Amino acid sequence: MGTGKRIGIFKYSSCAGCQFQLFYFQHYVLETIQAVDIVYCKMLQSGGEEDGPFDLALIEGAITEQWQADQLKRIRERSELLAPIGSCAVCGGVPAIKNTAHELDAQRRVYEDISVVHSLKAHPVDHYVRVDGYVRGCPPGVRDLAELVKSLLLNKTPRFLDYSVCVECKLEEAICVLVAYQEPCMGPVTNAGCGALCPSRGRACYGCWGPMKDANAKALADRFERMGLGREEIYRRFTEFGEPTVEWKPGQVKP
Amino acid sequence: MSEPQHIEVEYLARVEGEAGFRIVLDSQPDIELRIFEPPRFFEGFLVGRKYHEVGDIVSRICGICPVSHMTTAIQAIEKAMGIQVSEQTVLLRKIFSLSQIAASHLIHLYMLAMPDYYGFPGVVQMIPGHKPHLDRLIRMKEAMNGLTALIGGRALHPVTNVPGGFTHIPRPEDFASVLKEIKAIRKDAEQAVRDIAALEVPDFHSDSVYVALYDETEYATNQGRIVSTSGLDISVDQYPDFFVESQVHYAYAKQTVLEGGTPIMVGALARLNIKFDKLQQKTRDLAADVGFAVPDCNPFHNNLAQALEVFDAIERCIQLIESHAFRDEEFKVEIRGGEGGSATEAPRGLLYHWYCIDRRGVVEKANLVTPTSHNFLNIEKDLKQLVAENRKQDREAIRLLCEKTVRAYDPCFSCSVH
Repeated sequence: MGTGKRIGIFKYSSCAGCQFQLFYFQHYVLETIQAVDIVYCKMLQSGGEEDGPFDLALIEGAITEQWQADQLKRIRERSELLAPIGSCAVCGGVPAIKNTAHELDAQRRVYEDISVVHSLKAHPVDHYVRVDGYVRGCPPGVRDLAELVKSLLLNKTPRFLDYSVCVECKLEEAICVLVAYQEPCMGPVTNAGCGALCPSRGRACYGCWGPMKDANAKALADRFERMGLGREEIYRRFTEFGEPTVEWKPGQVKP
Repeated sequence: MSEPQHIEVEYLARVEGEAGFRIVLDSQPDIELRIFEPPRFFEGFLVGRKYHEVGDIVSRICGICPVSHMTTAIQAIEKAMGIQVSEQTVLLRKIFSLSQIAASHLIHLYMLAMPDYYGFPGVVQMIPGHKPHLDRLIRMKEAMNGLTALIGGRALHPVTNVPGGFTHIPRPEDFASVLKEIKAIRKDAEQAVRDIAALEVPDFHSDSVYVALYDETEYATNQGRIVSTSGLDISVDQYPDFFVESQVHYAYAKQTVLEGGTPIMVGALARLNIKFDKLQQKTRDLAADVGFAVPDCNPFHNNLAQALEVFDAIERCIQLIESHAFRDEEFKVEIRGGEGGSATEAPRGLLYHWYCIDRRGVVEKANLVTPTSHNFLNIEKDLKQLVAENRKQDREAIRLLCEKTVRAYDPCFSCSVH
């Protein structure tokens, strides 16, 4: 059954949710797992070939320590294709909120002895290596994961969505919570893929899929200001899932 | 003299997160559970964030128990800010937690623990010879994840649970279709209990103190008193007075023990040891049928305890859903300062969150203690005893035994280095 395609799965600073999402993307699981060779994945199996080579390396998590960056570069050299999966690896995600705090303050609030801590500012995978596509989401969506694995098996370039959550709201026929209810919705600057999950369930999008490529963060931040949100509130919204990103920088004006 | 022999596992497979261990094989074995997964400083960066963001942020501590972190944080914040929630919210959160406990146990039992007992490196290699197991896992997991997703919008990092209540209540017809699926896996859950009970586990007696949430009226999940088998019986508010967290030099996770230094065990086995009589009659009968009785002090039976909890959770979810006519609710939250803690039963055991919120609704301080931090010292204690008792075996056998022990606790290292 195997196609001989060799996949390596690596986890850095994150919750491991992407890997869980990947293993059991429900009914696809048996056919998918049998169609490829997972040659390295510590959470799934003992042993494994850490040094590859890999046809596809999937990277979960943000990079927050030097050894992770070093290993990542080695993986890149030994992989035909490499893709970050999930918001932490794609755009820094939640671990990167710590970039908004003074590093030592954040460390001291957690540990008495910080001499054993070697944490760097949290960065996404493409800060350190070239990537061949992004599987977005927190957690990543089944559609994108399936697209990636299918593309690998068919030797084609995967196609990911490149529009905002707003488009999905229209497709879902969800009421616009920004316009109708004056909720500070991050949908206009957030990459699609969730199926407008939050707006269709009565709340504003909080940006967990990370920035859309051509996001106009400045316009949305201005809109939030006109709605009466303070500078701090606006800053928090643009730093929950994309602190290290260029796209949301215009919304990240420190109060 | 050469230095004493040691066993070192640098990166332990089939556990949630990154850790290894080092064992010095001596008459007095020395053990270090090295949790090297980089810390993520949630308690550090939650300071300065707004109360309504906390649930969404802390769910990202764990990809296998996001509902627990989210619910515990939200309950703590509601306590701090004096927010009352409806009975329906309490009920819905209970079903939400139970559905996740079942799904989490299933992943651990089938994907992380079972390969040890069938002699495979992982679950993928089990597929050809043991497909019925895998089919059963997928059926059960789909049904329970389906219930979590119905309530939360999605099973992983749900979105509808917020301070004050739920932003969206599923419609009766949606509950009906999920109920149908859950009822269809009752038999699978019973078979899972029998399959896990049939696995041969090491005969081992660990002299441990067990801690769990306890409630007179039900098998406590999100509310109750914190009790132990050593006589502790306190309210959640008293948690900081009775539990002590400390840093160790070889791990980024902290060790949490009872005042006085007593290590504790939390999780499914601890819960059964403390509140077996609160399980459904059906579950207790099944336990008797497979030969499980409390007190049970073998940590390897944590797997069987989890399987029994899956069976019990499924029955309870069915009952709870059928007991209530769910309807849309409005709720309003008034911003107010204060401090508050909450403890819940996460799949892996007692989880505690505490927050101090200022009058603008901004977090001033946060403290989170995870199940694996509670279990940390007890795992090391058990490993020491096991190694001492099995010193005559060859090193490979000792290594495997130790790996199995750590896995039986179902540790979550990602949670522990939050």
